[in-house]
Amino acid sequence: MTKFNVSRRTFMEGGVGFTVANLLPGTTPLAFAATMEERTIAAAKTVGAADVSGMIWSPYLVPMQPVIADFKKATGIGVGAVQDISIFDTPQRAMAEALSRSPQFDFIHIDSNMIPSLASAGYLEPLDEYMKKADFKIDAVGDYAKFMTYKGQTYGIPTDGNVHIQYVRKDLIEDPDNKKRYADKHGKELKFPETWEDEFRIQQTLMDPAKDLYGSGSLRNRANGPTWWYMMFYSAGGFTFDDDMNATLNTPAGQYAVDIYLQEKKVAHPESAGWGTPQMIPRIAQGHVVTAQYWDGTARLNENPAKSKTTGKWLYGLVPGSDFSGKRIHRSISSPLAALLVNKYSPRKAQAAYLALWLGSGKNSIPIVSDPVNTFNDAWAKEHMTSELVQKAYSPAGIKAIEANFQVVSPPTYLTGYLEFQDTLGKNLSEAYVGQLPAKDVLKKTDEEWNAIVRRIGRTKLKEELASYKALMPKRNVPA
Amino acid sequence: MSVAAVPAAQVQALPSTRELSRRRAITRFRWSILGPLIALLVFVLMPVLFLQLYFSLHQWTVYLGTWWDAEYVGLELFQEVLTDPRFGWAVVRSLSFATGSTIGCFLIGFALAYLMYKPFRGQAFYYIIFILPMLTVPVVVAYTAEMMLYQSGPLNDLITRIIGIEFKPAWLTNPHIALPTVMLLEIWNWAPFSFIIMLAGLTAIPKEPIEAAEILGASKWRIFWEVQLPLLRPVIFLALVLRFLEAMAEFPKTWALLQGGPGTATETLPVYIFLTTWQYFQISKGAAMSYIVMLLMVVIVLFAIRLLRREKRSLDTMYAKAAARPQELA
Repeated sequence: MTKFNVSRRTFMEGGVGFTVANLLPGTTPLAFAATMEERTIAAAKTVGAADVSGMIWSPYLVPMQPVIADFKKATGIGVGAVQDISIFDTPQRAMAEALSRSPQFDFIHIDSNMIPSLASAGYLEPLDEYMKKADFKIDAVGDYAKFMTYKGQTYGIPTDGNVHIQYVRKDLIEDPDNKKRYADKHGKELKFPETWEDEFRIQQTLMDPAKDLYGSGSLRNRANGPTWWYMMFYSAGGFTFDDDMNATLNTPAGQYAVDIYLQEKKVAHPESAGWGTPQMIPRIAQGHVVTAQYWDGTARLNENPAKSKTTGKWLYGLVPGSDFSGKRIHRSISSPLAALLVNKYSPRKAQAAYLALWLGSGKNSIPIVSDPVNTFNDAWAKEHMTSELVQKAYSPAGIKAIEANFQVVSPPTYLTGYLEFQDTLGKNLSEAYVGQLPAKDVLKKTDEEWNAIVRRIGRTKLKEELASYKALMPKRNVPA
Repeated sequence: MSVAAVPAAQVQALPSTRELSRRRAITRFRWSILGPLIALLVFVLMPVLFLQLYFSLHQWTVYLGTWWDAEYVGLELFQEVLTDPRFGWAVVRSLSFATGSTIGCFLIGFALAYLMYKPFRGQAFYYIIFILPMLTVPVVVAYTAEMMLYQSGPLNDLITRIIGIEFKPAWLTNPHIALPTVMLLEIWNWAPFSFIIMLAGLTAIPKEPIEAAEILGASKWRIFWEVQLPLLRPVIFLALVLRFLEAMAEFPKTWALLQGGPGTATETLPVYIFLTTWQYFQISKGAAMSYIVMLLMVVIVLFAIRLLRREKRSLDTMYAKAAARPQELA
């Protein structure tokens, strides 16, 4: 056995030297930091204290504040002035910042589907170097961390999974009278829907407009409608573009998705054509719908007895799939996926980046995603799935559903020009939904308009991005 | 050598020092007013207009390159806009929206002004009440209206109770009535503007013609129709034109309530320009659209100025005749 002869003086000198070396910028000072959070703090300390400014909607910011306060205490990095605007308005504001190359905001909290557009406009700071220095990993469920990447670089840290899960009213589906009625009418057992067709049958059978109970709580307004359509389209085996960036919506899979999308008009509230979340979420939580695909945060609201009349009355699970392609495919969606992005032109970009890492660690984000009142930030990290606090907020069934849907989660059109692709599709679907456009023309028109967008933005550029988009598509057709 | 005699009247007297000083003061005063306006035009408005013109003649994609490297495309974008059916429909919607709401605002504003122009006890109170809607922020009007206008909301409920028959129009989600709904909100919001202008106009009408007509035994209706209305015509045109231009630019209520939907039912010009510029980031196309709309507005304004001048001339003639009549009678 070898005995090390290290004097007390040598040991002390070595320790001091190592500490000094750790504090030098550009070195990797984190060898002894035990956890990812500690490593983030150590890395952040090397860039100095600052109050960073950002663009963020207060319902997202409020539950983050105690976590930010901890970071401020540990590193001197906190949040100063913020512009409090809705996440739906942030893309326009962020693009205005990008065009003017403004250093005003150090970070923006935004739908990560804007990453290609903002990165193309030169606004975003890649975060990989910061992540490397802190040995940080986005420890997301499934392949979800890829949603933060574009052309091989990481540009965002998620704060809100926002995956769609299936909601079905347990009390209605388990009611013996309803079971009999359904079996008599359809010759099948009434159970949790597995396909879009199953869901529609359940909605038709169990809805009762006289009691203000409608079949569907899914959204069909112009702004949100495409999010639902994508689930149907992808699950039918469709994809938005071919390898040469020609739009491929006008296909049998696309038309199938349009038909499924539009048939819900028969089971939805008469005003669904104009309703968004402010109208629909209360209706779900107050028990006025039979089923819906909806953002996972609504489960938290449903399970909060102070805010909901339907606590304990829901079944949560995988969104319906389709056999249209010859095999069963389920595709959930995450949009808008709120994430923290850092401004390349900011003088405090390093501080903003480390703050984002701090907020995006699995452990730190547990209190953020389990806040029962500000339910905007939703679970996404592996650590969330096993956390007692998070399970309590969503219910164990809710968390199980989130985990399952994350395994088949897909993005909307993850390309530069996202908002234009999205609104063009939304406009045409909405026109068909309110009878301004024949259903058969929706995709023909959308294909033409999308091809025009591709020509304008640049086919070559978008072809380069297509790989990033395809990489986000799930590898599984059904969750493990 | 002979010197031609010049009549004394043709010799221009040199202005006195006092007169010269007065003229200089007037010139200084004119420039003190015009100077800042010209500076504003040259340094603020013109650069924006030139920049906008530059963008509308260059295809700038925000994702590729800098704006000064943008490709020159001539009038291509104007052609694209003018052949875009969506733009055409937006023009139609905006024109119908502006026409409908202008007429509505004017009729209500004028009616209120007519009720209010003669002094009465408590007039100030009513005046404040009538202008309150105009002081309400349009976005607040939109969100308040949203609460009111749900199918099962307070408005339908109230009307159902009053008429005793179920009344359930989907104000905001039926594509056939969504735009008229926003029009009604616009009328509610801006009728006070027409009210103020018409009240000022009615108050400014000289009393003599009305008193003369009263002495001659004309009925109130005849006085209104044949005396007050002709005298008010320039004010009416002004109220209509200003309101029309404002209504063409209406954006906050339409956007906050409906974002152009359901379908494209409320996709007016400002909404479409906003979508093009800030949702699709087609800055160049948005600039071309704005130029076309600006030209459309300029045509409307020039037409309105012509009408106003004609009205003023006709009024001047009328006053001149009225002034001459007593002399004729004498």
